[in-house]
Amino acid sequence: MSTVLEICVLACAVYVCIVYAIYVALAVVAFAENRRSKRESVVDELGAVSRSRFSPSVSILLPAHNEVGGLPDAVRSLLALDYPEFEVIVVNDGSTDDSVPRLREEFDLVPVEVLSRGVVATEHVEALYRSATEPRLLVVDKVGGGKADALNAGLNYSRHRFVCGVDADMVFARDALSTTMRAFMTDPGRVVGLTSFIEIASNPSAALRNGVEYRLPETRPFTLFQALDYVRAFYNNRIAWSRLDFMLCAVGAFQVWRRDLLDELRGWSREFTCEDIEITFRVHKELRERGRPYRVLCLPVRVGVTEGPDTVRKLIAQRERWQRVILETWWAHRGMCFNKRYGSVGLLGMPFYLVSEIVAPVFESLALLTLAVGAAAGLVDWRLFAVVVVLISLVNSALSTASLLMVELQSRTYRSVGIVQLLVLMPLELVFYRPILSWARMKGTWRFLRGDKAWHKFERNARTEAA
Amino acid sequence: MDGQTTAAIACAVAAGCWVVGGATVLLSGLRATRAASRTPPPGDGSPAGAERSRELADSDGPEARAVLFQGLRSGEPEVRRACVTALGRLGQRHDWAIDGLIEALAERRDTPARVAVQLDRLAPRADTRLLPLLGHPNGVVRYYAARLLAREDEARRRLVPDLTRDPSPQVRAAALEAMQPAPTGGALRRALQLLDDPHPAVRAQACLTASAISAAGSTPFVAPLLSDPSWEVRNAAREALVRAGRGATPVVLPLLEDESDDVRSLAAVVLQDVGLVDDLLASAEDPALLERIFTAGGRRLRALAEDRARERRPLVGSRPAVAEASR
Repeated sequence: MSTVLEICVLACAVYVCIVYAIYVALAVVAFAENRRSKRESVVDELGAVSRSRFSPSVSILLPAHNEVGGLPDAVRSLLALDYPEFEVIVVNDGSTDDSVPRLREEFDLVPVEVLSRGVVATEHVEALYRSATEPRLLVVDKVGGGKADALNAGLNYSRHRFVCGVDADMVFARDALSTTMRAFMTDPGRVVGLTSFIEIASNPSAALRNGVEYRLPETRPFTLFQALDYVRAFYNNRIAWSRLDFMLCAVGAFQVWRRDLLDELRGWSREFTCEDIEITFRVHKELRERGRPYRVLCLPVRVGVTEGPDTVRKLIAQRERWQRVILETWWAHRGMCFNKRYGSVGLLGMPFYLVSEIVAPVFESLALLTLAVGAAAGLVDWRLFAVVVVLISLVNSALSTASLLMVELQSRTYRSVGIVQLLVLMPLELVFYRPILSWARMKGTWRFLRGDKAWHKFERNARTEAA
Repeated sequence: MDGQTTAAIACAVAAGCWVVGGATVLLSGLRATRAASRTPPPGDGSPAGAERSRELADSDGPEARAVLFQGLRSGEPEVRRACVTALGRLGQRHDWAIDGLIEALAERRDTPARVAVQLDRLAPRADTRLLPLLGHPNGVVRYYAARLLAREDEARRRLVPDLTRDPSPQVRAAALEAMQPAPTGGALRRALQLLDDPHPAVRAQACLTASAISAAGSTPFVAPLLSDPSWEVRNAAREALVRAGRGATPVVLPLLEDESDDVRSLAAVVLQDVGLVDDLLASAEDPALLERIFTAGGRRLRALAEDRARERRPLVGSRPAVAEASR
């Protein structure tokens, strides 16, 4: 019995060591990339980009399904973007709430037929509306077909060279496009897509007032844990992936792609629970196979604030879906893993996902089981267990601190009180927050194995007026 | 060293990173202020010199010119980019800064789009000095020069005959775009000729330019492009016809019976956009024609028009014309 437990403990320990070694290595790479990006942003002048007719034009696609609470705010913040040429295409994907009537009222929409490019087949478009007061706004009202289908419908009506998919629960920084689109101007031959850093809050409108002034909006540890999670995911991971050329997830809340590439790939796939990771994987796969030089980037620039779940139940629903879509996508593209034809994507990115996401629930379950059996059999050395927990908490804290430092070096927008709150919460994350994520991942894995592809969308938070 | 000691050391190291990192985050504001007061060597070709180059632009000191020109030739792309931004800032005050930007464009010291952004903000000061770039061997450079020169009369006189025959389709399209604001003699004829250009970007821009010069006169030539294989061209043709208003009706009506579904529905959309559908619905003047349009345009066009009529909402103007296709 004790031998079996020892083997399990050893396996878990080796796994944890490997994962954290990878995270530390990624943090080092991310730090270097963040410094480079900071220098670049210092020498660039956003004002010139946001006024020039040479800035690439963008079609922003905003798919929405029963998002009436946050949708008008999201549209308003998009229309207020400081950028010379863009359009906003809201795609109502079979909402059963008052999304369309509310938009019609708020933006003075008039029904009108509009020419479709017809690039991708989608569910039936029932109506189109153009704003009488805002010529850059088009609303597409279609039969529900899922987020990917809604994005594809928007792609069919997009007029500009670049397409930016966003989420309806986001509020955007005024300079979201001018800070990010310059990446396409700096390396126009290779950059085909990008994403950028997104903050999280339970009420985005309150967190990003007037699209300019950001503040950590609340002191609830539950939201702050999520804020830390986002900061780490972007600054420690995605920015490093970007540097190492295997940026494998352009997040759905803000993903910019060259339209001609999306046309070539026939848009977003409806075969998956969620569209963002899949399209990123597919871009890498196709372009590597064709031998075309390209880059998919993650920029360390805050582009907006998204709505985070405000209850544990909602968080589990969200993270369970994320785990499921990672598994679906990874499995669908498993042929790239350890395949040198796909360069750093096949040799670093896919194995990284395998270790850090795919098999994580296995080891998490094993660790819990070992602990339970060990405790029942009286074989657990509780002192050693406590030391291990403290050690992992501290390593987590060190990694989180590194990402927080990168945010501060990039934008310096957290107030001292907010920073102290985050620093204090870091060591507690392992005990109070990670178990929720572990449970969600196990649930997601289980549902993936059962072939569940439902969205299980969590109910949006109650909105309060921005303070 | 036993396991416990190792764990203790690891804990101490991680805790140290956390505490020191946290303190660093808190003190980062102070560190930034101190760093700003340190002056990196100007234009030394290192990334650290990039920020100094930008500062030089602000200080506008006598050393700026030499440093920035030296920086433009740096092997470090970051430094070259910083110099381009700095030259853009200085261009309003110094002609040599404009020369630097033109050199940057001609010699591809930075991506042309970034240099063009800086030159664009200096218009029209840079305009005549860009003329030599129209003969540049590189098509990308010629394209940006043509688009930058679009606002300048003398340039336009030269652009029309020369650049609409350029081997690069992007340059031909840019030349067509440049002709729009103040067309010279023969401009319409040339734009109409380019409706048959092999490249869709040129055909699309030719539609827009021809209609900008003479919306009514160009409609018979533009209407056939509603059946162009390229969406960009079809959309540009639609915009051009809508620009002509009711004048486009006679050339569009026969297309309601075109053999292609796409052309028929597009013709109906054009007639909607020029306001004919709403007028016919309101006046009940010619129900047969209205039915022809609805048959061609499909059920959605009919339903949306009836919605507008029911709500007495005026049709919103067609979305603004884009020079998109030419880029």
